[in-house]
Amino acid sequence: MSATRPLTTQHVAQATVQPQDNGLRLENISKHFTSAGADTQLHVLDNVQLDIAPGEFITIVGASGCGKSTLLRLILGLDEAFDGRILLDDKPIRGTGLERGIVFQDHRLFPWLTVEQNVAVGLKNAPLSAAQKRETVREHIQLVGLQDFTESYPHQISGGMAQRVAIARGLVNRPSVLLLDEPFGALDALTRTRLQRELQHIWQQEKITMVHVTHDVDEAVYLGDRVVVMQPHPGRIRRIVDVDLPRPRNRSDARFIALRDDVLSDFAELS
Amino acid sequence: MARATAEALDRQHLPAKNLAPVKRLPNAPTRPARRVAVPKSTKAWQTRAANIALAWLLPVALLGLWYIGTERGWLSEQVLPPPAFVYQTLGDLVSSGDLWLNASASLQRVVVGFLIGSALGVALGLAMGLSKTVEDYLLPTFNALVQIPVLGWMPFALLLFGIGEPLKYVLIAHAALVPVTLCTLQAFHEVPKRLLEVGRAYGFSQRQIVTDIVLPSAVAPIFTGLRLGFTKAWLSLVVVELLASSEGLGYLIAYSRQLFQLDLVMAAVVVVGTIGLLIDRGFEFIERRLNRGRPVKTGRLA
Ligand SMILES: Nc1ncnc2c1ncn2[C@@H]1O[C@H](COP(=O)(O)OP(=O)(O)OP(=O)(O)O)[C@@H](O)[C@H]1O
Ligand SMILES: [Mg+2]
Repeated sequence: MSATRPLTTQHVAQATVQPQDNGLRLENISKHFTSAGADTQLHVLDNVQLDIAPGEFITIVGASGCGKSTLLRLILGLDEAFDGRILLDDKPIRGTGLERGIVFQDHRLFPWLTVEQNVAVGLKNAPLSAAQKRETVREHIQLVGLQDFTESYPHQISGGMAQRVAIARGLVNRPSVLLLDEPFGALDALTRTRLQRELQHIWQQEKITMVHVTHDVDEAVYLGDRVVVMQPHPGRIRRIVDVDLPRPRNRSDARFIALRDDVLSDFAELS
Repeated sequence: MARATAEALDRQHLPAKNLAPVKRLPNAPTRPARRVAVPKSTKAWQTRAANIALAWLLPVALLGLWYIGTERGWLSEQVLPPPAFVYQTLGDLVSSGDLWLNASASLQRVVVGFLIGSALGVALGLAMGLSKTVEDYLLPTFNALVQIPVLGWMPFALLLFGIGEPLKYVLIAHAALVPVTLCTLQAFHEVPKRLLEVGRAYGFSQRQIVTDIVLPSAVAPIFTGLRLGFTKAWLSLVVVELLASSEGLGYLIAYSRQLFQLDLVMAAVVVVGTIGLLIDRGFEFIERRLNRGRPVKTGRLA
C-alpha cells in the first residue's frame, strides 16, 4: 500500500539533490587595504560569515564605506588578496567566472561601443549562435526600455539609462550568481519600482542566486529573502533579518512596514 | 512620495506570469523615451561661421600690417618684400613648375620618413605596452637617446649614411619615432582599470582583452601621437633640407636666402606652413572621426 506507492517526480527531485547545489559560502572573510607609503592598514572587512542557499535572494544594506562593494569584488574574484574562503558549490572560487555576474556600482560601459554592443559584451563568450545572441540582446534592451537607443553611445544617454544598460549586460548571460551593486541607485522611482519587479520576476523564473547591495531599505525588504545589515569600522555583519513574507510583497502591509522600520532603526543606532 | 508611487505600482494587477523556464521576457510597460526628428536650426552654422571668421582675424591683421609696413617703407624692400611681390613670386613658382618639383621632393621624403618612423614607433610602443619586461629593458635607453636633438645626430648620420636620400629618411623617421612611441606606450598605461575588470568579469581571454579593450581605448591616444609625430617630421624635414640637399622646400629657402631673394624665401615659407597646416587638419579630421563614440574630450570654461 503506502509502502509500495511509487515516488512522485517531486520526491525523486528531492532525493537527488545535486551535489553542486550548495550555494555560496563566505567563510570568515577579512580584508585589509595597505595604502602605499603609509604603514597603516585599512581594515575593511572583518570576519564576514554568510551561507547563501542556491537561488536565494540576499540583500545587503549598510552605511557608505562599510565594505559592501569590496565584498562583491571578492565574490566576483577580482581581488584574491583576502583572508578566509569563498566557496561556490563547495569549491573555492578561483578568479572570475562566467557563472558569477555583476552589475557594478558605476556603470562601466565601454565608451566606444553602442548600447547594443555594450549589452552584447555580456554574451561575448557565451555558447550561443550569433542569431541567438542578437535576439537575447534585443530582449534585454527591451526589458530595460532602451529599444530606441540601441545605436546610441554611452555619452549620449543619461546616467540612469547607462545604469539600465549595465543591468541588461549583467542579466543577459544569466549567471547562476548575480551580484548587484546599487543597480537602481540612479533611477527615478517609477523605473526603479518596475525594474525591482522585473528583477524579482527574472529571479523567480531562472533561480539565480542574487546578492543585491542597496541603500534603500524599502527595496531590501521588498526583494530579499534575507536582509543583511552591515556596520562599518571595520565592515562586518551586524544582523541578518529574515523576510518571511509572500511574494509579490505589499509595501503597505503591516508586517512589511514593521520589518522595514526594524532595519531602519539599526541605522538610527549606528549613527 | 516615492513610496506611494511604489505601492501604487505594486497594486497594479500584474498578469499571471508563466513560471516555466521560458526565456522570453515581458515588454517594458512604461513608455520608453522616443527619438524625435528635429529640423536643424540655423544657429549652428551661424556660430560656425563666426568661429571661422575669428580664426582668420589675426592672419588678416598681420597681412594688413605687412602691407602697410612695406607701403610706408618701415623696412627696406630687400628685407621685407611687399605681399603683392611675394604673391607674384608664388605665381611664378607655380607656373614654372618649380613649386611642384620642390614640394613633391619634400613630401616624398616626409611621407617615407614618417611611415618608417611611425611604424617603428607604434611597434616599439606596442611591444613595451604589452610586455613590462620589454619596457624595463628599452625605455630607459630610449628616454636617454631622445634627449639628443636631430642636429646633434647630424654629423654622425652624415658619416654613416652619406649626404643622399637615406640620410633624410633616417632623420625624419627619427623625429616621428619619438612622439609616436611615447604616445603609444602612454595609451597602454592609461587603459582604464575599471574596464579591464569588466573584461575579466565576462571571461575575456588575454587576446580579447587586448583586441577588445586595450586597443580600442588606445586608438585615440596613438593617433594623437601620429599627428604629433607628423608635425615633428615636417619640421625636421625643413632643417634637414636646409643643411643637405639640392631640391625640396627647405632647399628652396636656403638657396634663395643665399641669393638674397627674400620674396622667394617668404613664398617658400608660406608653402611650407600651408602644407603642414593642411596635413595637420587632415589628421585632426580623422582623429575626430575616431573619437566619435566618446565624450568630447574636455570642457571649456568660456
Ligand atoms: N582599492 C582600495 N584601496 C584602498 N582602500 C579601498 C580600496 N577600495 C575600497 N577601499 C576602502 O574600503 C572601504 C570600503 O569601500 P567600499 O567601496 O567597499 O564601500 P561601500 O560599502 O561599497 O560604500 P558605498 O555604499 O559608498 O558604495 C572604504 O573605506 C574605502 O576607502
Ligand atoms: Mg559601494
